[in-house]
Amino acid sequence: MIKSLGTYDFPSKSRQELYGDDILVHVWRKDSMFFCAAATFRAPKAMKWTDFVDGMVMPLMTSDPDFDRTKELSWQLVDDSFVPDPDKSLEENGIHHKNTIALIGA
Amino acid sequence: MAMTETRPVSVDLQENEENRAVIEAIEADNEDLTIRHVPGLVKLQAPGRLVIKRESVEERLGRTWETHEFQMAIVTLSGHITEWDEDQIVLSWGHPERD
Amino acid sequence: MTTNPTKPVKKLSMQQRYSALTRDIDWTPSYVTEDQLYPHTTYEGIKIHDWSKWDDPFRLTVDAYYRYQAEKDKRLYAVLDGFAQGQGHLTLSDPAYLNAMKIFLGGVTPLEYQANRHFSYLARHFNGPGPRFAAQCQSVDELRHAQTEIHTLSNYNKYYSGMHNFAKMHDRVWYLSVPKSYFDDALSAGPFEFLIAIGFSFEYLLTNLLFVPFMSGASFNGDLPTMTFGFSAQSDESRHMTLGLEAIKFLLEQDEANVPIVQEWVDKWFWRGYRVTAIIAMMLDYMLPRPVMSWKESFELYFEQQMLNGLFPDLAYYGIRPPKGVEQAIWEKEHLSHLVYHTFYQFSHAANLTTSIPTKEHQAWLASAYPDAFEQFYKPKWDKLEKMAAEGNRYFYPGLPQLCQVCQVPMLFTEHGDPTKLCQRHSEFKGEHFNFCSDHCKEIFDREPEKYVQAWLPVHQIYLGNCGGPTIPDVLAWYGYAEGDSGEMLGNVDHNNWKKWHAQVDDSVGGRESVEVGGAAEAGKGA
Repeated sequence: MIKSLGTYDFPSKSRQELYGDDILVHVWRKDSMFFCAAATFRAPKAMKWTDFVDGMVMPLMTSDPDFDRTKELSWQLVDDSFVPDPDKSLEENGIHHKNTIALIGA
Repeated sequence: MAMTETRPVSVDLQENEENRAVIEAIEADNEDLTIRHVPGLVKLQAPGRLVIKRESVEERLGRTWETHEFQMAIVTLSGHITEWDEDQIVLSWGHPERD
Repeated sequence: MTTNPTKPVKKLSMQQRYSALTRDIDWTPSYVTEDQLYPHTTYEGIKIHDWSKWDDPFRLTVDAYYRYQAEKDKRLYAVLDGFAQGQGHLTLSDPAYLNAMKIFLGGVTPLEYQANRHFSYLARHFNGPGPRFAAQCQSVDELRHAQTEIHTLSNYNKYYSGMHNFAKMHDRVWYLSVPKSYFDDALSAGPFEFLIAIGFSFEYLLTNLLFVPFMSGASFNGDLPTMTFGFSAQSDESRHMTLGLEAIKFLLEQDEANVPIVQEWVDKWFWRGYRVTAIIAMMLDYMLPRPVMSWKESFELYFEQQMLNGLFPDLAYYGIRPPKGVEQAIWEKEHLSHLVYHTFYQFSHAANLTTSIPTKEHQAWLASAYPDAFEQFYKPKWDKLEKMAAEGNRYFYPGLPQLCQVCQVPMLFTEHGDPTKLCQRHSEFKGEHFNFCSDHCKEIFDREPEKYVQAWLPVHQIYLGNCGGPTIPDVLAWYGYAEGDSGEMLGNVDHNNWKKWHAQVDDSVGGRESVEVGGAAEAGKGA
């Protein structure tokens, strides 16, 4: 617990409610050091997984000329392996605000 | 303080004309001194103890020199300042190492 | 007068003068209690029984202080003047060198000013006159540092980009939130924690890594004014180091109950400060056109040898062990600068500085300085990026990075022990998910989550629309950037001007026809 002179209770500056219907999602490649760091995206909770991947994740990933789109991709959500349903939303796939998704393979 | 304490103490001084007398005085007053030059500064390192004596500096400088003036020369140090008076400044480590 | 005029007045000894001019000016409050007068020195749990035990080995008195500080300034301003009059900026090793000074001006100088403010607070709030006077001197020193740094670099600001607007940039630019949040963390702590955070952990453990090898680098790259202000500031720093060291010894000697509190602060503030020095690692290894001393060598000399092997055996006497995270920092010394510069290379379209692929000669130096890491892990990256650039695809990261909730550095660090795997850590607090770059940043968060949930993370704020607008150009305009501040170094305004000015110098012996007169406006700019 923090030691302070008075009551110490302040809200998070990145809390989900500030983003309305959207969430922040982090994505990184687990097997490559080409990208200096994981990325942050702002996406609607209701966005379909497949739209998220095609519209947001892939434009970043394919900026690496050695990224192979034809290979089978697999995913990890936070610490666990993850098989997303492509037609369900981010929220329905269990992705929460500021969760980190790892892309494996490619 | 243990007499056998040999962890190195050091001072880094700006290498310029003003400080030459100070550097030479330290060289004269400290045995086993290791001197290292990097651009702009000189690092003087001694095992366990390093002393800067006013008389030695004055002898080389040809004028009076207050130990306070050492503040103009020093860039950084390693070790405790265990003594700082009119006549000398001593750097050493404060406590013996435990086995 | 009854004194005999032929007999000189006996001078006080240094110790007597110090007692008379520093300690004896204190008084005991009569109409308020001591607790009312000093209301901030108990809530952190630190117990002080005898403030007079604080020792100042410098025996500094106010008259001596101002006399020597004035002399230091006189010497510095003589150098600045000579440099400006002699068009000294043309004698730099390369304009790329100034990228390092842009980081310094935006990242370090504002911290000097914050230190001035907070040491002034300590000079009011400590119960004992010894630490109050030491804090007062340090406060004035820090103001001098901020001012002399601004004066020194203002000469370059006349000719080069990226230095205007530095104070605004400090408050706004993504990577400058790293040093800013570090200092905000310390300023918002109690007075004793601040003393351990800045006085001990930064000034004593880490400041050498910032000033000494870097200012030596300035000397080696023709930047006489920076070398002079650096060493001038550093001469105060030896006094600050002493204050930091006296502070920790004083707290540890006053009460055994202070030991575990101080240990937690040492652990926390070593790691906070160390993460800030990541940028120094990059400056030393990649941003000095003529490198002097590698980060690895500096870390070994100024941290491992002087601190771990010199100081910490002394602190063991009090029951203090080296900070957590030291082993990881030692391991990272081989990798740190490469990872950080790689990040700046990919994000320099959004920085107030320019980057480029290190030259062949520079890479050869890196390989010799890092025989166990550079060729294996980092040269292949530069080769790939160089090939892309040659094909007209100078790479810039097309997105925003993930930031660590505590240190605010993009998540560029690897697992301890494995340079091929980026590190990811996380915690939950009140139902919210938080991400960290390392075990130690996670530990810092978990200890005081209430504090770090308030972090102003630039990427999150950009996505909230709080940084000028939704697009990158909107954000860069809000940062106050101008033409030439960012992107690829080759073909940049500064680079072109440099070529032009040097061609003019050569023109004194003829050859005007060959002079490139291309102005700043048509200079290429990355991204």
